[in-house]
Amino acid sequence: MTAIDPHPASSGAPAPEPGRPLLTAGVDVGSSSIKAAVFEDGGPGRERMLAGIVERLRRRDPLEVAEVTFDKALEMAGVERGALHYVATTGEGEHVPFRTGHFYGMTTHARGGLFLDPEVRAVIDIGALHTRAVLMDGRAKVLGYRMTSQCASGSGQFLENICRYLGVTIQEIGPLSLAADAPELCSSICAVLAETDVINMVSRGVSISNILRGIHDSMAGRYVKLLVAAGASGRVLVTGGLSRDEGLLQAMRDANDALDIRAHPDSILAGAIGAALWGGFRARKLAERGLSLSGGGA
Amino acid sequence: MTGTGATTALASLLQRLEALHQDKTFGVVRDWKARTGGLAVGFMPVYVPRELLHAMGVLPVGVLGGGDSIEIIRGDAYYQSYICHLPRSTIELGLNGSLDCLDGMLFPATCDVIRNLSGMWMMQFPDKLVRYLDVPQDFAPDVGGAFYRHELLDIAGELARRGARPLDDAALRASIAVYDANRRAVESLYELRRREPWRVPSDELYLVMYAGMLLPVEEHTSLVEEYRAAVCADAARRPLDQARMLVTGSFCEQPPLGLIRTLERAGCYIVDDDFVAVHRWIRGDVLCAGESAAGDALDLLVRAYLEQGVPSAIRYIDDDRKGRDLVERVQRSGAEGVVFCAPSFCDPALLDQPMLVGALDAAGIPWTAFKYAENTGQFQVIREQAGTFADSIKLWSGAGA
Repeated sequence: MTAIDPHPASSGAPAPEPGRPLLTAGVDVGSSSIKAAVFEDGGPGRERMLAGIVERLRRRDPLEVAEVTFDKALEMAGVERGALHYVATTGEGEHVPFRTGHFYGMTTHARGGLFLDPEVRAVIDIGALHTRAVLMDGRAKVLGYRMTSQCASGSGQFLENICRYLGVTIQEIGPLSLAADAPELCSSICAVLAETDVINMVSRGVSISNILRGIHDSMAGRYVKLLVAAGASGRVLVTGGLSRDEGLLQAMRDANDALDIRAHPDSILAGAIGAALWGGFRARKLAERGLSLSGGGA
Repeated sequence: MTGTGATTALASLLQRLEALHQDKTFGVVRDWKARTGGLAVGFMPVYVPRELLHAMGVLPVGVLGGGDSIEIIRGDAYYQSYICHLPRSTIELGLNGSLDCLDGMLFPATCDVIRNLSGMWMMQFPDKLVRYLDVPQDFAPDVGGAFYRHELLDIAGELARRGARPLDDAALRASIAVYDANRRAVESLYELRRREPWRVPSDELYLVMYAGMLLPVEEHTSLVEEYRAAVCADAARRPLDQARMLVTGSFCEQPPLGLIRTLERAGCYIVDDDFVAVHRWIRGDVLCAGESAAGDALDLLVRAYLEQGVPSAIRYIDDDRKGRDLVERVQRSGAEGVVFCAPSFCDPALLDQPMLVGALDAAGIPWTAFKYAENTGQFQVIREQAGTFADSIKLWSGAGA
């Protein structure tokens, strides 16, 4: 029998040196924005984020934006491409040419969530198109998950569309929603019906604040159900693009007070952070076997 | 050749292979017939002794279904909804005239559905040679071997009556040598993929193997070698950190190319598979392995079937042997996990799966399973499943969790 090395080495990346921290990067390709994070990884509990940025796609080619965002993050971190030990992609990043490896969204959001809040054992990643509730253990190993179906209702893209109809910016959503005094609930199942609901509300003279809070309430209802179905309890970290929407966070807290719903200022970067950290983990695992792979130099 | 030159040559070769794969009118077979005036005989998966056809001047043509590119209009009327997709697309190809260039069809014993299809073919195409190839399930030379030899002689007689060259021992021996060379070339390419899977993406390998269903074997051997040389010269290909997978269960109805691409883009390197199984059905050379034994060339072919055939789901052999063989393939290929990727309603693959799973579990080899049809067009669920399986192997394999 021929012995085959499962992961043959290639030149291009510096070999990890014992006792020296690794340099890794994570690139999260989302459907509305690209997130990149650069890490100095000194081993478990000694990881430090050197840079983290978000760049909206604005109808540009995701791969081009990924490359630009990655380079910007490296510049912010003061790190050369060739010095990276591992570049990990996540989200829709399977096609990013300079990746060393790719990890799936659940895997990376779990790891990113644990980095941002070591006490959490559940994250809910609310992105432009999908929402995933993920349970994990203290090592960020995914223990279970639930995700929304293909319909975009209750996702960031849906909320953005509503903003356009209402003539408000994304940044205004949270404060307007928090100011609501009589929220109007809308369909929580179908984006088409929900949009019709909103048009009807506008023609009935319902205030923008009450419309937005109504939308938040119906979205929050879905997300909380997702978390409960996944088996989440206690502290939950919201990650992904909608983690910055204070109105939505409040609606989720109001929908289920048994869950401790939180967000971190870097929650939007959780996927990229998790990818970078798992990249470091893999670089070490490969190094233990005397192997290394090209780290972003290609 | 320069790096850029090698990349261009490879791109042009792949374009040709894609065109062969997409052409469901079998234009290359029609051209061959016009050029040579020979007979062309189609065969269904999984295995037919192509050497016999070749020795009689007949072009063996693999008919692996309609894939994801043909619309089923009449085929659905022939099969119930709980039957796999392959026979309905094959009969569609027959009824829409795509297979008119074939002078006959061989239906190797695979399952009841294929047997049923051979009967339909007889009724629909009474002027063509239609033959259900009953392969032995008793592997004793004096029982199954004698039966199989009789079957092959019978087919040879039918082909000769339709204008093929009479079967001749020297010609058959020469044809076996030609196919042995092809098997070595194919094995060499698979070996390269086992060692350096980033050089040989599995969708490309699939296209190379599929071309062997249409082209004369000599041409296919050259093509395999040309592709191998081209990928070795392509400096742009570099390794990624992906989990190494063995994919099994796809020996009959073929997975859509998009599914194979999805698996590799999802973070898996396929390092062994059973796609287009006829190429690797016989392990090793037929001539070398049987040369010391007495008998003629036909005996060599019979012995190869009995003794060198892969322990596949369509052979009625000890389940332990199939499980042991799968575990050995995992070890030989350096695979870190197994993907059971079987067509929906494929009785042979799905009935064997629990036994194979038992063997993997006993050996501590992780696995996942899903089903497809040849015309599956949405791969999001498979992408998620394969991707998270690859993640779990990369992060937790050997972690004691």
